[in-house]
Parts: sequence; C-alpha cells; structure tokens
Amino acid sequence: MMNWNLYSRGDKFFAIMVSILIGMFTVATLYPFIYIAAMSFSSGFAAQAGKVVLTPIDATLEAYGYILKDPQFWISYRNTFIYTIGGTVMSLLFIIPGAYALSRPQLYGRRTWNLFIAFTMWFNAGLIPFFLNMRDLGLLDSMFGIILAFAVNAFNLILLRNFFEAIPQSFEEAARMDGANDFQVLWKVFVPLSKPAIATITLFCIVSRWNGFFWAMVLLQSEDKIPLQVFLRHTISNLSDNDEFAILQTDAGFSAETVTAAIIVCSIIPVLIVYPFIQKYFEKGILLGGVKE
Amino acid sequence: MSGVKLEGIVKRYGAVEVVHGIDLEIKPQEFVVLVGPSGCGKSTTLRMIAGLEEISDGECRIGDRLVNRVAPKDRDVAMVFQNYALYPHLNVAENMAFGLRIRKTPKDEIAKTIAETAKILGLTEYLERRPADLSGGQRQRVAMGRAIVRHPDVFLFDEPLSNLDAKLRTQMRAEIKRLHKRLGVTSVYVTHDQVEAMTLADRIVVMADGNIEQIGTPMELFNNPANVFVAGFIGSPPMNQFEATLEDSDAGPIAHANGTLIQLHGQEALRGSAGRDVIVGIRPEHVMLSAEEGTASIPIELDLIETLGSEALLHTHVGDVPFVAKVETHGEIGHLQGINALHVKPARVKLFDKETGRAIGQAA
Repeated sequence: MMNWNLYSRGDKFFAIMVSILIGMFTVATLYPFIYIAAMSFSSGFAAQAGKVVLTPIDATLEAYGYILKDPQFWISYRNTFIYTIGGTVMSLLFIIPGAYALSRPQLYGRRTWNLFIAFTMWFNAGLIPFFLNMRDLGLLDSMFGIILAFAVNAFNLILLRNFFEAIPQSFEEAARMDGANDFQVLWKVFVPLSKPAIATITLFCIVSRWNGFFWAMVLLQSEDKIPLQVFLRHTISNLSDNDEFAILQTDAGFSAETVTAAIIVCSIIPVLIVYPFIQKYFEKGILLGGVKE
Repeated sequence: MSGVKLEGIVKRYGAVEVVHGIDLEIKPQEFVVLVGPSGCGKSTTLRMIAGLEEISDGECRIGDRLVNRVAPKDRDVAMVFQNYALYPHLNVAENMAFGLRIRKTPKDEIAKTIAETAKILGLTEYLERRPADLSGGQRQRVAMGRAIVRHPDVFLFDEPLSNLDAKLRTQMRAEIKRLHKRLGVTSVYVTHDQVEAMTLADRIVVMADGNIEQIGTPMELFNNPANVFVAGFIGSPPMNQFEATLEDSDAGPIAHANGTLIQLHGQEALRGSAGRDVIVGIRPEHVMLSAEEGTASIPIELDLIETLGSEALLHTHVGDVPFVAKVETHGEIGHLQGINALHVKPARVKLFDKETGRAIGQAA
C-alpha cells in the first residue's frame, strides 16, 4: 500500500473521485437487493403503504409461507434447475469442442467458420422467424427444445476460442508426440489448462439459464414446464388483478408485493451459493510455469 | 535402434520454399547436430522428422519405414522442446507418465519406468512437484525424462538448452552427452550454438538458407571447412577471413593481401593459380606468437587484448581488416604488449575461392 503522503494532488483527487464513483455504483447495485429482501420479510400492509425502505417493517415470514405452500412454485423451481444444469452441460458440450476446433490453424475454412459464428452476435433472425423455426422443428412447449435451442452462445464460444488460441502451440505438439489424438489433446491438456476460462463461461451459462425468461415465456405453454422466472411473472399478474387474493390478503400478513419479493429472493439464493465455488478460478493463472518464454 | 534418412526433403509455405531438398543419412545410435543461424531451416527439418510439419517434397525414412504420411505419435520418436512444454497441471511423475498412459501401458510398468528414469535424471525427490515449482534445469530434465520413458527409436532435441543460463547449459550439455552414451538412442539435435554442436555431435550438419553447407565430424568441420560460411560459423572466435590474390614465387605460392604477403609453402596444388582471387582463412587458434622454420609472418597492429585466463584474444588488424588471434598466456600478458607480427604455418592457412566461397585444394 502506497503512503498517502506520496500521492500528488492530482493523484489524491483521482483516488477520491474513484472511491466516490465506486461507492455510488455499489449502492446502486446493492440497494435493490436489500430492498427486495427487506420487502419479502415485511408485512403486506407495510409494503402496500410504502413504508419499506431499508429494513423489514413488521417482520414476518407470511409471504414465504404462502409461496412455499404453492406446488407450482416447487415445479417451476425444479424446472429452472433442469434448464440450468441441462442447459449448462449442453452448452459446454458444444462450446468446448467447438472453440477448440475453431482455434486450430489446421481447421479447413477456419476464417469462414469464425466469421459465421461472429455474424450471429450482431445479426439474428428475430423473434417471429425463430419462433416459426422452433415450431417447425417440433420444439414448441418442449423442455429439451429450451435446453438445445440456446446451447451455443457466440460470445462464450469466441471467449473460449481466444483462450485456446493463447495456449502455446508446443503443449499441443508435445501431447501429439506423446501419442494423443485430437480428443485427448483437448480433454487432457487444453481443458485442464483452461479451467479459469471454462469456469467463467460456466458461470455465464448458469446465470443466463437461471434468469432465462423471455424465450421460456414465448416457447412454453404448459404450466408444468415453465421455469421460476415465468412463474414469477404469472404470480405477479395473478396477484395484481385477483379480487379473491385481495380479500385473502387483508387478513393475512402478506401482499402481492411481499410475495413477489419472496419469490425473487428464493430465486437468487442458488446463484449466490454457486458463485463462490466458481469465483476462485477466475483470476488463477494456471498456465504459469509449464513453458519458459 | 533406427537411423533416419532424408532424401530431397523440401518444405514450402505457400510459394515460399524454406528448405531446398536436403539429403541426410543419420546412422543408428548416431548423435547428429543440425546447426546454423536463425531461419536456416534446421528447426523446420527437425519438425518434419517429428511429423509436426508436413513434408512438401522428398522422402523421410525412420529405419526402413517411409514416414511422410505417418502421424507423429506413430513415428516412434520423442521430442524435447525449447520451452519444455511440460503440462503445468500435472506433476513431474504425471508429466512423464502422460505418453505411457495414452498408450495404455500397464500401471505397474509405468511406475517402474518412471522410477528408473527419475533415478537416471536425479528427479526422484521431485516427482510430486508441479513444473512451476522446479528450476529451469530441473524442468529441462523432466522434459528429457518424458522423452526417455517412451523408449523411442529416435530422440529429437529442438534447442533444448537455449533457455538456460550459461553455467547450467554447460552442465546439461554434459548430461545429454552422458545420457546418449548410456542409452545409445539415435539423436537429432538442433541448435544455433556452435559450441553445443562441437561438444555433443558425432557429426554436425551445418545449414544456411535452407541448404546443407557441410556434413562432417566436429574436427573435420573445424580443420577443413567446405566453404567460407562453415569456416565463419564453426569455431569461436570465428576463422579470420580476408581477401587476397595468389602469386607465384620461387619459394612457392604466395597470397597477397592488401600489401601483406603470406607464404603458402607446401600448398603446391596452387602453383599456376597466379592471379586467382581468393579468401584467406586463418583460425585464431592456429596463430603463433613466434616464428618457426617455414612459418608465414603477418604484420599486424595490436588494438586490444582480451584476457580469458589461460588464454588471451589479441584483437588486431591486418591493413584495415580485423584479425583475431587466440594465444596462450602462461599466466601473464606482459609479453603480448607491443607485438607487431604474428605467425602461422602455411599448411594451416585455408584458401577459398572468392567467387564461389568454396574451399580450394580439398574435396568440398
């Protein structure tokens, strides 16, 4: 740590401005989370009256009690797990070999393939053609369809391809001399060397699958196939204009707002649990030491 | 053990030809060093033997087998890379076992081979360590271990010592030599360091611009370089070279260089070549401080003396051409000051045709 006195005035000003900006950003990111958590533990009355700001008012678990009793909550929770785990595994199965192939100079037509992949990052077919495509493939209202359709993400593919390209060629050559074929070079050398990159795209896949809402809403009709995010959407619209619920909640300690907040908190928990396990790979320079440059 | 035979080997990248039809026969158990400046095609040639580069033209045989279209893993060769290329996620034992595991060698056999090899290379206590926790010399040894455990027909070394410091390099050089003696595996070794080439090789192949300039034992190359390139490349410091014209005299042929006359008694083959433009080559080691019977004397001007301990390098010039002599000091350099002439036996003077650069008076 540098001694504060050694900073010039300009440096001090810069350091202070950076701290202020980071502080503001932290508050802007953290506050919605705190607000939702406080809301979920507040009474319906307090929530409706707009009293919740930072901490739960009239603390209660009624909202959680309400959603945990709803079987549809558990079904959609299970579905989200299926989409997340299945989708992430499927993505990795496509992206890892794909990125390896695209990173190899000996791939015939490599530039063209890379161009095709990158093209999809800027241009895509759009909502209606994609929907029609899924319909014609018989993948509407299909859990497998959701898992398969979004398996390859061009950004993740290019990210991993770039990482593979940066691995010194001599590792591949050494493995080939040792008798490894393409698959062995990939799984026994490139994948272990790329743990940080693979952990990163795994996290990207998990988060995007976990939060996947739009296409699940468009492509899935059956209640027993929808993920948590779509269930949340249904719940919000049900609660907002449901007279029966309005009567019910007058006596109970929850409201549409607190129930919505409780579902959101429940949906965040698994991501919070997974993140620390993947995070350790992020900054780790596993390549150090094997090659002397 | 197998030998390696290259016939008319050509390497092209698109329209650019970098290796122009090389012929080379490496005998079983021989240690051959490919040496040459950067970009001379030596590493490319080695990589073609390994199978890491496609052969554009010509034939490569390992033993009796044509291997042009054989994958690296099926050529029964092992390679030590310049940057070691140790797998950083595996420890020393796993690095050495990698190739054996892929070839589905039984576990107990792997363990036995690794234990033996580690013992030979002094790596036994490091088997559990990762490459990042090893010194440069240890990593180099692991890289060699990885090659040895496979018991290949041919070892290929691609500048394996160039990343080590000078002291370690000398040490590892001796180790490689010892290892070759012990295992007797046919070895092809690429380096740009002529000292490595001289100390390690049974035979040296000097390359330049994608061609072989000369093939021979270290002493053949040192004593009878085929052309000015080899003469300048082999030996440290390199052979002194300067232009001259041949003249005849009663005592025999003379090289006339810039006002300096160098007697070439005994090189009778040169009689009648008067007027021919040549390049005179004199090894710094062949220069003497005092005249003997029949020696040619070269008047010089002394610029500076570099002391190496038992020897000294005299940096001088003949006319305006630099001339270096390597002489013994016998522990002091006082007698070297004020020297104004050096001497050389006529038989030691090498002559090269000025136009072709080829040696005169010996089979090239």
